[in-house]
Amino acid sequence: MARRSERDSASGVESHFRFVDPKVLARIANLNLLARSVVEGFISGLHRSTYLGRSVDFAEHRAYMPGDDIRRIDWRLFARTDRFYVKEFEADTNTSFTLVLDVSRSMSFGSEGLTKLDYARFLAASLAVFSQKQRDRIGIVTFDEDIVEFVPPSAKHLEIVLHTIDRASAQKPSDYRRPLLKVAEAIHRRGIVVLISDLYDEPEAILDAVKGLRYKGNDLIVFHVLDPAELRFPYAEAASYQDLETGEAVPVIPEYLREEYRNLVQEHVRKLTRTLGDNQIDYSLLDTSTPLDYALFHYLATRERMTRTR
Amino acid sequence: MSLLAPLFLLGALALAVPVIIHLTHREKKDVVAFPSLMFLRKIPYRSVRRQKLRHLFLFALRCAALVLIALAFARPFFESSRASAASTLGPREVVFLVDHSYSMGYEDRLSRAKAEVEGRIQSLGGEDLASVVVFSDRAEALNQPTSEKEVLRAAVSGVELSARATGFGPGLKLAKRILDDSKLSRKEVVLVTDFQRLGFEDEDDDVWLPAGTVLTPVDLSSKVTENLAVTGLTLERDEVSGRERLTASARVTRKAPPESGPLGSRISLEIDGRSLQTKPFELAPNSSVTLSFDPVTVPAGEARGAVRISDDALPKDNAYYFVLSSGQALSVLSLEEGARRARRSFYVERALEIGDRPSFRTESKALSQLRAADLDGRDVVILNDVPALPAAPAALLSEFVEKGGGLVVVLGEGSSRSSFTEASELLPAALGGIVDRARDWGGTLSYLDYGSPVFEVFNAPHSGDFSGAKFFRYRAFASPPNEGVLARYDDGVPALVERRVGEGRVLVWTSTLDTFWNDLARQPVFLPFVHQLVKHGASYAEAASWHRVGEVLDADRYLQMALEGEAAEDDAAKRSFDIVVTAPSSRKIVLPRTEEKALLPLEEQGFYEVRRARTGGGASSASAAVNLDTAESDLSPLDPEELVAAVTFRETATAAAAGAEADESREAQEGRQAYWWYLLLGALLLFASETLLSNRLSIAAGGKAILKTTTPVE
Repeated sequence: MARRSERDSASGVESHFRFVDPKVLARIANLNLLARSVVEGFISGLHRSTYLGRSVDFAEHRAYMPGDDIRRIDWRLFARTDRFYVKEFEADTNTSFTLVLDVSRSMSFGSEGLTKLDYARFLAASLAVFSQKQRDRIGIVTFDEDIVEFVPPSAKHLEIVLHTIDRASAQKPSDYRRPLLKVAEAIHRRGIVVLISDLYDEPEAILDAVKGLRYKGNDLIVFHVLDPAELRFPYAEAASYQDLETGEAVPVIPEYLREEYRNLVQEHVRKLTRTLGDNQIDYSLLDTSTPLDYALFHYLATRERMTRTR
Repeated sequence: MSLLAPLFLLGALALAVPVIIHLTHREKKDVVAFPSLMFLRKIPYRSVRRQKLRHLFLFALRCAALVLIALAFARPFFESSRASAASTLGPREVVFLVDHSYSMGYEDRLSRAKAEVEGRIQSLGGEDLASVVVFSDRAEALNQPTSEKEVLRAAVSGVELSARATGFGPGLKLAKRILDDSKLSRKEVVLVTDFQRLGFEDEDDDVWLPAGTVLTPVDLSSKVTENLAVTGLTLERDEVSGRERLTASARVTRKAPPESGPLGSRISLEIDGRSLQTKPFELAPNSSVTLSFDPVTVPAGEARGAVRISDDALPKDNAYYFVLSSGQALSVLSLEEGARRARRSFYVERALEIGDRPSFRTESKALSQLRAADLDGRDVVILNDVPALPAAPAALLSEFVEKGGGLVVVLGEGSSRSSFTEASELLPAALGGIVDRARDWGGTLSYLDYGSPVFEVFNAPHSGDFSGAKFFRYRAFASPPNEGVLARYDDGVPALVERRVGEGRVLVWTSTLDTFWNDLARQPVFLPFVHQLVKHGASYAEAASWHRVGEVLDADRYLQMALEGEAAEDDAAKRSFDIVVTAPSSRKIVLPRTEEKALLPLEEQGFYEVRRARTGGGASSASAAVNLDTAESDLSPLDPEELVAAVTFRETATAAAAGAEADESREAQEGRQAYWWYLLLGALLLFASETLLSNRLSIAAGGKAILKTTTPVE
C-alpha cells in the first residue's frame, strides 16, 4: 500500500491537471473550507479510505462508501437495517503533529499575487485538516525572529490552529536558531514537526536551528516555500532591489547577474537537500505555483515512510 | 583674457542638465521589493569607489568638451591697450575723408571739420601715412600718402566749400583705392562729414573697404537744423504790345523741426544786379511755397537775373540764377504759285503765328517774284506746292541752302514729276506719280523717326497722335530714297524726307500742308508739327536759362545758341578761335582752339562769362547761369552706424563714434587672435577621446556590471 501510495504521489506531481491551482484556492476566504476542499479532493483521489486506524476502540458507524474495505462492514447491523454500515474505530496513531510556520517579513513576498505566506498558510491549514482526519494531535508555532504564537498539539485544537494560521501576518525579520530551539524545548512529546519557511539563511545555520527538534526524536519535514521569481529572477529593468526584512536597497542590473543568481539559488537548494537529508530531515522545495496536493502527497508519503521505518 | 560675447558662457549651464536628469532619475527609479538580498550580495561586484572614479573621468571629459564649446562661442581674446597695440602692430595708413559739399557751409561745419582733422593729424604716429581726400559727389585726393604733418595740415587748411552735393560713394571708393595700394597692414578711414541722408545712395552699398579697415565716423551734423532754400524757378515770357515780358515764379522750401513756428522772410527778383521786386512771405516748417513776381519787361540783349531770399545758416542755397537772352524770331518765307495761293498757306501761316519760343515772322510771296534780297536774313523758305521751279529761283534757293538756310518743299496738286528738274540736286530723289488712297479711305502715317528733332517731342506717351490723320493723296518718289526718311505712310512711301545740302537742309513733305490732300491740318498735332518742321529746317536751338553745378558746358555750342539762335552740327568745321571763360569766382579759363571741343565743367555757383577771343565787330560773349543741386538743401542726417555697417565687412572693426573706438577694437583684436577656432578643435579632440575611452570601458566591462550606491554590507 505504501508503494502504491508513492506511485500515486509520483504521478500526482507529474500531472498538474488533477490539482487545483493555489491562486484559485486563494479565492476561498474561509481557511477551513479551503483546507477541507484540498484534503477531501486529495483523499477522494486516493480511491481508498484514509482511515488507517487499527485500534479496537469503536468510535461510530457510518454508511459504507465505495472504496471502504468490505471486511469492515457490520453485518449485524446490515441484518437489522438492510443497509451497509462500516464500523469506525478511533485511530491509534495518537501522533503529535506540530506545524512550525515562518511568518517573517520575507514571507510576504509574492510576484504573482499569491504571497509565500498565503501559500504557506494554505499548506499549513491543509496539513492540519489532513492530520485531523488522521486523528493526529495538532499544534502550531508561528515565528519570525522569535516565537509569535504557540498552540500546543491537541486533538481538539484544529479550530485554534486554523485561527492562528488565519491571523498570521508577516511583520518582522526572521531568525531560525532562537525560536526553533524554543520550540524544541516546548515540545515534550515526540511527533511530526513540519517546518514551512523560505529558509533564507545558510544551510548550516538552518541545520543548527532545526537539529534540536530532530534530536529530540521528532520526525522533521521541511517545506521550503519560494516564489517563482525567487527561483528564476525574471526581472528585466535595472532597479533598486530592497530587502524586505532589512530595508537595505541594492541597485541591480538583472541581465548581468541573473544566471549567477540562479546558480546560487540552486546551490543553496542542493546544499539544503544534502545537509538536511544527512540528518534524516525530509526536505521539499515548493514554489508557490505548485498545487497544494503535491505537498500533501509528499507529506503522506513521508509519513508512510516514517511509520514504516519507525 | 576678455570675452567678446560673454553671454554665450550661459551655454555652459547646459552641463547641469544631464546631471540633474541623472539625479532626478535616480530618485524616481522604481524600488523592487525582494525577500532577501542574500544571494545578490554574494555576486561579486566592483567597488563603488572604483566605478564612480571611472565614470567621473568620462563625465569630466564630456563636461570639458562642452565647456570648450561654450567658451569658443564666447569669443575669448587677450585684450591689449590701444597704445601697446599701436606699438606692437605697426604703422597705420590713414585716409581723412573730408566732406566739402555746400551743406558743410551750414554754420561752422567746415571749420569744425578742419579742426577735427588737424587734431587727428597731430595724434598720428611717426611712421603713420596719411592722406587728405575731399569729397562731395566726386572725390579728390589733396596729397599723396605722407607722414609729414605739415603737408597734411596745409592740405586741410586749403579745403574750401564746393558747390556740389554730398555723395559718399566717390569718397569711399577713392579711400578704398588708396588703402588697397597701401602696404601697411593697419588701415583706417576717418570720415568727417555732416552725414546727409541724401548723400547715401543704394549703390554706395557696393563700396567695401578692405577687410580690417577701421572706419571712424566724425559726425558734424546738428541736432536741429533750420534751412530756407530757393529750390526752383519758372520763367514765362510773353509779348504784350510788341514788348516781351517775363513772369518769374520761384519755389521756396523750408526744412525745420516740426515744432518750430512759421518763419517770415523776403524774396527779391534781380535783373542785371538791380532789385526789381521784393516780396515778404511766411512759411511753415517742412513746407514749400511758389512765389510769383509781377511781370517785368525783358531788356534788350542778354540779361543776368537772380531770385534771392534773406540769408540764413546756409546762405549758398538762398539764390537762384538765370540768364535772359533776347527773344529769337525765325523768319519764314512762303513761296507759292498759281490760283489757290492764299488757300494753300492758310494753315501754315496760322500755325506759325501762334509760336512764341521762338516766334515766327512769316511772309508770303509768289515764286516768280523771288529776289536774292528776299532771302537775306531768312531762316526757312517754304516751297508750297509750286508747279515748277525755274532755273533762276532754283539757283537762289540752292545758294541759300548751301549757306545754312532751310528749305521745306511741300508737294501737292500743283506739283508734278518735272517740277524740280532745274533743282534736282536739292531733292533727295526724283519725284514720281501721285498715290491715290481715296478708295481705301485714306492712308495713315505708320513710321515716324522719333530720333529726329521733328518728331522728338512726340515721342513721350500722350504727346501727340499722328494716327488720326488721313492722307488721301501723296506724291511718291521715282526711286525711293534710302536715307533721310523721317516719316512713311502705311504703304511704305516716304512722307517726310530730309537732305543735307551744304550747311543747310531740305525737307520734302510729300503731301499738302492744307486740307486738300489730307486732314492733318485739322489734327491737334498739326501746330507742333509745323513748328518743329520749321525749327528743324532753321537748325534752331535755344540756350538754356541756367545750368546746374556738375554739368559740362560745350562753350562753343552755347555761344552759337546764345548769339545766333542756332547750333552747329557735330561735324561742323573746326573753330578758329580760343574761348575764354570767366568763372563766378573771377577765375579765367582758356579753352584753346586746338581742342576739338570747348568743354567746360561747371563747378561754381553764379554766372560764367563765355567769350570768343577774336577781334571783330558784334557781340562775342554770353553768360551762363549755374545753380546748385537743390537736393542738398535737405540737411536731414543719416545714422553714421548705418553707413558704417553698409561699407565695412563684418570682421572689419568699426567705430560708431569716437568714444566707442575701444569696443570696436576689441572685436578687431578678437578677430585677429581667433582663439575660438582652437577651442572648437580642442572640443572635437575631447569628444574623440571620450568615444574611444567609453568604447574601451564597455568592452572591459564584459557585459557584467552592478552599480552600487550604498555602502556594501560585506
